[in-house]
Amino acid sequence: MRAYLVVFRMRLLMELQYRGAMIGGILCQMFFGLVLTALYRALYAGHPQSVPIEHVVSYVWLQQAFFRMLLATDPDLLDKIRSGNIAYDMCRPVNMYWFYYARIAAQKLMGSLMRGVPMLMVAALLPKGWGLTLPDSPLGLLAAILSLVPGFFCMCALENVTMGFTMRTLDPRGIQSMLNLLMMTFSGNILPLTLFPDSWQRVITLLPYAQLLDAPIRLYTGEYAVTEAFHIIPVQALWAGLLIMLGTGIWKANRKRMIVQGG
Amino acid sequence: MNTVKLYIRSMSMLIKSQLQYPLSFFMQTIAQLIMEGGEMMAVILIVNRFEEVQEWTGGDLFFFFGMMSVSFYLTELFGRGITGDFPSMVRSGRLDTFLVRPRGVLTQVICGGVDPRRITCIAVGVAALVMGSRMSAILWTPLKVLALTESIAMSCLLIMGLFMIEAIFCIHSVKSVELVNALTYGGRSACQYPIDIYPRPLRMLFTVIAPFALTLHVPAAWILGKPLYGLPTWTAFVTPLSGIVVFVLMTFLFHRGIRFYRSTGS
Repeated sequence: MRAYLVVFRMRLLMELQYRGAMIGGILCQMFFGLVLTALYRALYAGHPQSVPIEHVVSYVWLQQAFFRMLLATDPDLLDKIRSGNIAYDMCRPVNMYWFYYARIAAQKLMGSLMRGVPMLMVAALLPKGWGLTLPDSPLGLLAAILSLVPGFFCMCALENVTMGFTMRTLDPRGIQSMLNLLMMTFSGNILPLTLFPDSWQRVITLLPYAQLLDAPIRLYTGEYAVTEAFHIIPVQALWAGLLIMLGTGIWKANRKRMIVQGG
Repeated sequence: MNTVKLYIRSMSMLIKSQLQYPLSFFMQTIAQLIMEGGEMMAVILIVNRFEEVQEWTGGDLFFFFGMMSVSFYLTELFGRGITGDFPSMVRSGRLDTFLVRPRGVLTQVICGGVDPRRITCIAVGVAALVMGSRMSAILWTPLKVLALTESIAMSCLLIMGLFMIEAIFCIHSVKSVELVNALTYGGRSACQYPIDIYPRPLRMLFTVIAPFALTLHVPAAWILGKPLYGLPTWTAFVTPLSGIVVFVLMTFLFHRGIRFYRSTGS
């Protein structure tokens, strides 16, 4: 256990180094947030919906702020597989799955905190109707933060499942971009899940992708009542457990048929 | 003329080399199809929920989306050297070899990359164009076809010009500058919807600095029979020329930038 925590801490510190890239990333993400906000405001102008515009705007900002949590991959592993250096990792006296789980968790956590916190502060200062609104209630905020935890475990587990699939091929770009697109669409990044057709809601909110950010955001905006957290968080935890089981299974199978490339 | 021949030759060679791994190529092409299909699904869902935005009907929105994705991915297909590979050329020092060859640097960079996987993205764009044109019942005349062709060609040049800004920054700073993505990818996301739904600052940005409104929205709106801001017909043929202006300006700046290029030494 200690070994994984050390890996986690080291990666946190490493991620902290890229502060220059961070500022560019924040500005870029803010710009996308503004464009999306403008678009939804224009769409709402003639056609008010059951979901109020303030919720959609908050949804957009929270999604943009935690963008790095969704899309952050560990490029080292695939490089190691291609070059054959994976042999070193297989010699380590730690479980490879959890070793990489700790790494990706640190990367996602630090990356999204460093970008998300300043972004949300700016977004909260924007004029009304353009910026992030306050949470529905203090309890809602607490529930949202609580449900972010299993959501985060889900996200890292999902990343490792993707990695497990991509490890099998030397050229991972095809399958990786396909799985990432599924995630971007059904986690609400491309279009808020609240704006998907009403008849789809029952299914898409149960998918693992909705557990990552959609569930916490809905608790934040009050789309889900605070009491619903009692059955949302177990669903999230269930998915996190299932995805971790699936991931460890795939990684174990991969380990058996791993070919170390010479070079 | 020689340059064009060179370009065609290197394109066919690059495409041949990419087809050496047919399965991987096939997978990636399908992935691209799904990716752009996902983008289009978002537009379909938006049209399904909101039906229209201001004076633009669902069909009009598909038409705008189609024009943007055809232009954007045509640029990515043929201009891969600029849109994707350039930062790594600078970082790895591959650009150095271009400097000693008896051809222009920009020519070589553009000849150096092609991305045939984008063909499926273009197909999605074409499908959106056809769908939009059907739903909005556009009556095609030769003049409208001309406007469409000109608009797409000029938008390609504009997008290429915008990616060159990133290349120019990259020459000076080695690291690729993420912020420029706001103009290129941000421009694509914003301008796949008609420009006049946006507030003034965004409209200004995409009319004056990155003139997607001029190359794409003015002619597209005219083709749809709803001229933007009530502009007269001739503007649909004149304003897109701003695309070539941006391209020429950026080519000039690129060549100036190259003079300050310092190899990374690796």
